Amino acid sequence: MCNKRTLFFLGFFFIFSGMSLLGADTNTSSPKINITPELKKEFPLKAHHDKLSLSCTDCHEGQGDDPKDFKLIGDKGCLSCHKTKQFLADRLKFMDTTHTNPHNSIHDGPKLYCDECHNEHKPSDNMCLQCHSNDVKSWMRPTP
Amino acid sequence: MIKKIFLIIKNNILLTLLVGILVGLICSWVMYEGLHRTSNDRFCIVCHEMRPMVAAYHTDVHGGNGKTGIKVDCVTCHLPHDNIFAYIATKARNGVMEGAIHFFGNPDAIDWQANRANRQHFVRDEACYGCHTNYKTNEAISVKGREMHEHYVSLKGTDKEIGCASCHVEIGHNGLRSMLNYYNPEYKFYKGKLDKQKEAVEKKLTEDMK
Repeated sequence: MCNKRTLFFLGFFFIFSGMSLLGADTNTSSPKINITPELKKEFPLKAHHDKLSLSCTDCHEGQGDDPKDFKLIGDKGCLSCHKTKQFLADRLKFMDTTHTNPHNSIHDGPKLYCDECHNEHKPSDNMCLQCHSNDVKSWMRPTP
Repeated sequence: MIKKIFLIIKNNILLTLLVGILVGLICSWVMYEGLHRTSNDRFCIVCHEMRPMVAAYHTDVHGGNGKTGIKVDCVTCHLPHDNIFAYIATKARNGVMEGAIHFFGNPDAIDWQANRANRQHFVRDEACYGCHTNYKTNEAISVKGREMHEHYVSLKGTDKEIGCASCHVEIGHNGLRSMLNYYNPEYKFYKGKLDKQKEAVEKKLTEDMK
């Protein structure tokens, strides 16, 4: 009798602990995506992000596990690591002296959308060039 | 002669012990004072070419520019702390090297801006989490921040290992890139246009170092 009861409780214990493990698995972080050389070629990373071994879902959070379905992460996504636009503007403070700080320009201040100039999976496109095509080269390096 | 000394020691064990302790204490004190007095910005700046770095450090929380004024010394972040012998050896080697470059080399030719890419090798991670003990769990850090700290831990010991300074680019030296530019602009366009800023930085630094 006693043995049967012990077995019964043990059974219960194992089933519940198994269930809690399953539950824990479904709750933890975004899906891991296997980054193949082909995937890397299709969606190349900028050198400074590549160096940190970031994975797709570090930026594309909560967007599933198929890179083809991923959407732009917007300013909020970028700033979740890069703090604030003011912070980024302050880091180029020396350029304020000549009003050439791209993060704090005389036209827009520290208010532009990040992807106005910066792209991750294709070459960036410095918006200043649209008007200051000759000068920008001497003001700053190619947009990372 | 040696026998005689042994005999004296044998006959005066207590005295020998006391003298031994005293000599030991004096040596420790000299070592402590020596290490302590040669560890802050005032001392390091004598030989190291680092006026812009120190100026940037003074505008950072780590350099005393926080609410509480707490300040960490140069060596706290830049020397190894896992082993006292490695600490002293690195300190001595750096001292000799930097002194030699300062007096006999050509420090003006050093490209500090480019050197910033190696920042993770100049900063000791164990020093960071020696103070920031709860960087993995601290809820004052954003969710993303904690996720990234987890990422950092997961890369530890692999060939992709990164350092604290890999992401925290100007940590300890707030505005370092601008300071370096005031002294030696990275683009020709700014040459001669940032002299006023440099002058202001120099003035403040000289005052701070008094």
